[in-house]
Amino acid sequence: MMARAMPVLLDGLAVTLELSALAIVLSLIWGVVLVLGRLSHLRPLRLACAGYLQLVRNTPVLVQMYFFYFGFAMAGLRLSGFTAGLLAMVLQNGGYMSEIYRAGIETVGARQREAGLALGMRPFEAFQIVIFPQAVRLVLPPMTNQFVAIVKDTALVSTLSVADMMFRARLLIDRTAAAFEIFADLTLMYLVLTAAVALLMRAAEWRLGAVD
Amino acid sequence: MPNVLFANLPFLLRGAIVTLELSAVCALLASAIGIVAALAQSYGNLVARGIALIYLYLMRGTPLLVMVFAAYYLLPYVGIDVDPTTGGALVVSLYFGAFMSEVFRAALASVPRGQWDAGRALGMHGRRLMGIVIVPQALRLAGPPFINTCIMLVKGTSLVSVIGLAELTLTGREVVERTLAPFQVFGGVALIYLVICYSLSLCGKALETRLPHA
Repeated sequence: MMARAMPVLLDGLAVTLELSALAIVLSLIWGVVLVLGRLSHLRPLRLACAGYLQLVRNTPVLVQMYFFYFGFAMAGLRLSGFTAGLLAMVLQNGGYMSEIYRAGIETVGARQREAGLALGMRPFEAFQIVIFPQAVRLVLPPMTNQFVAIVKDTALVSTLSVADMMFRARLLIDRTAAAFEIFADLTLMYLVLTAAVALLMRAAEWRLGAVD
Repeated sequence: MPNVLFANLPFLLRGAIVTLELSAVCALLASAIGIVAALAQSYGNLVARGIALIYLYLMRGTPLLVMVFAAYYLLPYVGIDVDPTTGGALVVSLYFGAFMSEVFRAALASVPRGQWDAGRALGMHGRRLMGIVIVPQALRLAGPPFINTCIMLVKGTSLVSVIGLAELTLTGREVVERTLAPFQVFGGVALIYLVICYSLSLCGKALETRLPHA
């Protein structure tokens, strides 16, 4: 049974991977936009970004998914489950990413740059030699946690009828009643996926010189 | 338009109370599990450490939704017949217990070595050393991350709606089915979660500023 469930789950893996990758990339970008707003000189913009952050951080992503999926459908602008799920995940995780960036920026700070310049570095050199290695060391570990959280959150789109691994596993259980084997397979696949994300990020830390 | 929300607010608030009760029970259980797992991981023998590590790895690497459905589908097979409330509470507690254990483990690890030495120099061992010197300091350090994990837990309880536990999110879905006003109702549901979680984060802020540094 273990071997028979795998191919069906593997079909769902493509959806899970696609959604995870899109959500990670778009969250990274949305986080940059948010942190620029958060550190802007315009007070209203700063406040709006801070308010946004509290809103997404303090509400469940499942409720946000329902809000977009059922809300837009009722308003006549039907979003697919995939799109609604992706939208909710990007809005929420973009907020977390912006906080990770902010912590990195505020900790490394302008003085480090000035110190680099005072030592006769050009601005790009100061960034490359002084700022970047310190920022990477601060930012990558929490970012890894966030990526793992995103991969795990993709399972929620199964409640919007998106045929990811979780959804296919439930279909299989309803059809075959071999619940133990299917859950063993499913758990194993998520474990491998999250471990792979963590390992890749660890490799990135090494590569970027963030590990002593 | 917001009339739909106001008319159904009593239902949603009843759901919110279930969410609050569920969260409180789960936070207590998860803390207990977390402390045991953290102690097992930090000071246990080889077997205890192995079991703790497998548990932590399993919970942190799989989605909560998978665990919720696993409990729903698998427990009846092994002859454990639990209602959604008990099953949901158990799964959420076990899941966030793994995150709590990290909170406590990190807190224990950040009590400086010198504090252990100082305690031993004063002739303390085992339970007294832990109880008088180490744990009180660790608890102070654990405050803010503990609150963060509680916020994650409150949000996590929304997932047990899929197995039929009528907490805030499922109540919201039921109200939407009746009123066909998803924006207002889910917006209202989100606001209620916001109030709960934001209050928690204010408690966290207070903890951070009130507690003296270790």
